[in-house]
Amino acid sequence: MKTVVITGASSGIGLETARLLARLGYNVLGIGRSEANCNKAKELILSENTNAKVEYFLADLMQQREVNRVSEKINAYLNERCNGELHALINNAGCVRSWYMTTYEGYEQQFALNHLAGFLLTYKLLPALKKAQGRVIMTGSDSHKGIKVHWNDVMLRHRYNPLTAYKQSKLCNLLFAKGLNDRFALDGIRAYVVDPGLVNTDIGNKDTGFLVNLIWKIRKKHGVSPDVPAKTYAYLCEVKDVPDGLYFYLCKEKNYSNEVTKENADRLFELSERLCDIQYGKVGMT
Amino acid sequence: MNVMITGAAGGLGRAMANECASRGYNLFLTDINEDGLTCLKQGLERQFGVTVTTMACDLTNTESVDKMLDVIDKHGIRFDMLLNVAGMDYEGEFMGHEREKLVKIVLLNNAATLRITHAIIKRRRPGKKFTIVFVSSLASMFPMPLKATYAASKRFLLDFATSLRQELKRQDVNVLTLCPGGMVTTPGAINGIKAQGFWGDATTNPLEGVVRNTIDRALSGKRLYVPGMLNRILSFLGKIIPSTWVAKVIYWRWKEVSHNGSAS
Repeated sequence: MKTVVITGASSGIGLETARLLARLGYNVLGIGRSEANCNKAKELILSENTNAKVEYFLADLMQQREVNRVSEKINAYLNERCNGELHALINNAGCVRSWYMTTYEGYEQQFALNHLAGFLLTYKLLPALKKAQGRVIMTGSDSHKGIKVHWNDVMLRHRYNPLTAYKQSKLCNLLFAKGLNDRFALDGIRAYVVDPGLVNTDIGNKDTGFLVNLIWKIRKKHGVSPDVPAKTYAYLCEVKDVPDGLYFYLCKEKNYSNEVTKENADRLFELSERLCDIQYGKVGMT
Repeated sequence: MNVMITGAAGGLGRAMANECASRGYNLFLTDINEDGLTCLKQGLERQFGVTVTTMACDLTNTESVDKMLDVIDKHGIRFDMLLNVAGMDYEGEFMGHEREKLVKIVLLNNAATLRITHAIIKRRRPGKKFTIVFVSSLASMFPMPLKATYAASKRFLLDFATSLRQELKRQDVNVLTLCPGGMVTTPGAINGIKAQGFWGDATTNPLEGVVRNTIDRALSGKRLYVPGMLNRILSFLGKIIPSTWVAKVIYWRWKEVSHNGSAS
């Protein structure tokens, strides 16, 4: 049985992907923030198939100590019941913030959750991913286009704008995936980014202000149901011949921004390692 | 430049710390939340490579403050700036709260702020300019039913700071009072802003801009900073409209907002 970890798995795209992968026979380990939503999600998946293997873990992943805590629990679970193997990690949890807000480390919250949380969690689960030659899949967005990383002010303290912060964090998802492939493709690990398209979820209505709320309420009505993008995640988990592409929409490769270069990917990797106080190069070297 | 920030682990304190660290200042951070200080120290050092010293302290407790001052003196730390951020509030009717909870607002916002201000002015770097910032509030401009204790405690800071500024003017000290409107510093603050609808967004000051301007203005010798045009107009109206009227209007509005907030 294959095991998959999905973040943000208690609602929206993460929940639909968890449902689909559970139906396909995966052992699903979901991470969510709200205990009530996680319990509901687990019940829903079990109601569709009483034999489904599904477990939920609680964590607020924008806080690094929460990532550290939950990854220890998941590693213990994997070692105990899954032969220490993880076949896929789906870094899906994301947020929108109307205003500049920081985590306990003082990091801007969209950058912290949409990029750094996945960066740190992937590092923590890398030994298990290596063992299973696993895949790392990020939830990206076409909004990563038309922006550069603000290297001199990556937390956007100088001109914070919700959309700029969101776009930049989604560009970081692609840069991170490229950085992972450049470093670990030879170990059998492959990283991908899914463009879910416009999806009817609550991302813009959680902890946002009046304006972002209003815009998203109108905009999401035109979105597809989250079970549409879920198929692309399942495809990337299942497909036998590892596809070469980086960015996928409706199970097909798609073009991505010219900003996704090796130089930028390396630069982001180095910055993120510093901000998480980790070194990917040293994974497994104890 | 050595800067002491109180209440550093909260939303506004973290933003202040980020701003100062980005300018290359060395920081001494205190807060009652020790875990929060540890996380923030890590984040600041990783981002900016500045020296950050932290010490958890309950500013309302004399012994706790004395202990911290001992450490400061032992290491011979001397300061160029003090940012008084630590503060608290419990919203709602005065009689709707437990007695000691309300007293705690004044103990922290006022008594503790005086305690630390006195102690740190005594430990200013000799022969150098010294800067103090008091975080008051737009609430200091009006009597505010349902935030009665908080608003009055912030008025105390505003008046105190103005007087202290005069006393210390000749000693190369500047005192600035920051009177912001709502700022999104905690997840809870978002719900409060949401409940106010359009006006919530309109009176909300962007945190990152407020902290940058605060430090700039404090260093250039300004007395008062009310961020945002709308808030400046409101604070002006607070001066010309009779306070009983203001109290009436505010009571009305907050009643409605807290009703909306609890209904949504």
